[in-house]
Amino acid sequence: MMFVLDAVSKAYGSTVALHPLSLAVARGETLAVVGPSGAGKTTLLHLLGGVTQPSAGAVWIAGRPLASLPPGRELARLVGVMHQQLDLVPHLAAVHNVLAGRLGEWRLLRSLVSLVAPREIERALAALERVGIRDKLYERTARLSGGEQQRVALARLLVQDPAAIVADEPVASLDPARAEDLLQLLTGIARDDGKTLVASLHSIQLARRYFARIVGLRRGRLAFDLPAAAVSQAHVDRLYDLDERADDLATAAAR
Amino acid sequence: MTWPPRQRASATPRRRPLDGRGVLTLLLGGAFAWSLATVPWGPDLVHPGGERAIAQLLAAALRPELSPPFLALALEASWRTAAYAVAGMTVAVAIGLPLGVVASGALARGALSRLGAVAATRGLLALLRAIHELVWAWLFVAALGLSPLAAILALGLPYAGVLGRIYAGLLGDVPEAPLRALRASGASEWQVLLYGRLPQALPDLLSYTFYRFECAIRSAAILSFVGLGGLGYQMQLALDDLRYGELWTLLACLVALVVAVDLWSGEVRRRLVA
Repeated sequence: MMFVLDAVSKAYGSTVALHPLSLAVARGETLAVVGPSGAGKTTLLHLLGGVTQPSAGAVWIAGRPLASLPPGRELARLVGVMHQQLDLVPHLAAVHNVLAGRLGEWRLLRSLVSLVAPREIERALAALERVGIRDKLYERTARLSGGEQQRVALARLLVQDPAAIVADEPVASLDPARAEDLLQLLTGIARDDGKTLVASLHSIQLARRYFARIVGLRRGRLAFDLPAAAVSQAHVDRLYDLDERADDLATAAAR
Repeated sequence: MTWPPRQRASATPRRRPLDGRGVLTLLLGGAFAWSLATVPWGPDLVHPGGERAIAQLLAAALRPELSPPFLALALEASWRTAAYAVAGMTVAVAIGLPLGVVASGALARGALSRLGAVAATRGLLALLRAIHELVWAWLFVAALGLSPLAAILALGLPYAGVLGRIYAGLLGDVPEAPLRALRASGASEWQVLLYGRLPQALPDLLSYTFYRFECAIRSAAILSFVGLGGLGYQMQLALDDLRYGELWTLLACLVALVVAVDLWSGEVRRRLVA
């Protein structure tokens, strides 16, 4: 198993983001997490990515308890996280943002030299080639378009080469055509490299088309956990139920 | 929970007539009014020859000293002042940057070691800049004699204190999210400094360093009053001999130096942003 969550819950102060939830994700599986805003998708992904620790319960990543994996090289080899805001350094050239994925493996001197004369440039080139922006190697990241920056973030993950990729709303800011391109790219990489992929999405259609398994979250609870083909319109309707959506709005407003 | 939420924020807050700020304003205003009363208003306020001296000084602005030998002297003095400023800034950056990095707490992982490192370096930086460059100059001239080294250290140490303090703030203030992402890809704090903090802070670091460079030129001119040579020293000689024309030429050189640094700084920033 790549990920095992055992009765995991997460609360921020008195706000419960995730009620006790258990989930297992096999190596090589592609899993989409869907649900309305505020359902706890990001919290779940942050737990899988080792970004936050659970309030209760246990998270296991590749058979190791998350508590024993502080942010660092070991965790970086297991999971790579792509945040919604990408979190690139806009002032650096794309090549340095991509090669930042190697920092866990590099010594300090090598990282310093690389800022002047990029090391292992063939890795950066191969990664940028794969995401389709090979020609942007030395472009300042701030000058790239949103879609291109997303690809730089993906290239950084490719260079980091973790066993699993966790992507939080990877297509939230893209138009429909570009969203399909990116998901194709992302799931293609997972398939070709045998990586586990967990991504949160708003669109059920996209989730059904590109992922093998779909988990529905609703107000911090597991609504369903099914093979993509088994997710019916009824499931979706219940997930976004209008009545209770009014409740969601009220709780969101109260926050 | 109620919906819509109560609109507490939009109610106009009533201002109390006399809060702490009001009292302070009154006190400061009173002190100013009182200080006016202590001025001995009358014909002796400006000393007798003063008006004539000012008139001569202003008249001299129209005919600055432009004789070739004096221009050569002014050029040499400018060169010396600029050289002191450059050398002093080099010392200041060389000391201020490492101290600033440590004082930002960027390299310490544990809360306790961070507190210790930050407190120690902040204290050292405060000590360096609490003493004015003129006082440092007296100290170094006493210790080393009238040597260029004394001027450079006198300029470099207090400037290191100021630069380090500002660098620490700028390095500590960069957006955190990219730093977290770097740590998540396994980067150490040193690597986070190189790939996250320094690049994000670089435009501000450069702007501020150039601004301090301008200040260093002014300070270097003043330091030369101590007897270290340069524009300030020449100004003092010109004033002592009432050669106001020379004074204006020297002032123009000083302005030219500062403007040159400003243009250079603008050019560097333009290239960095482009």
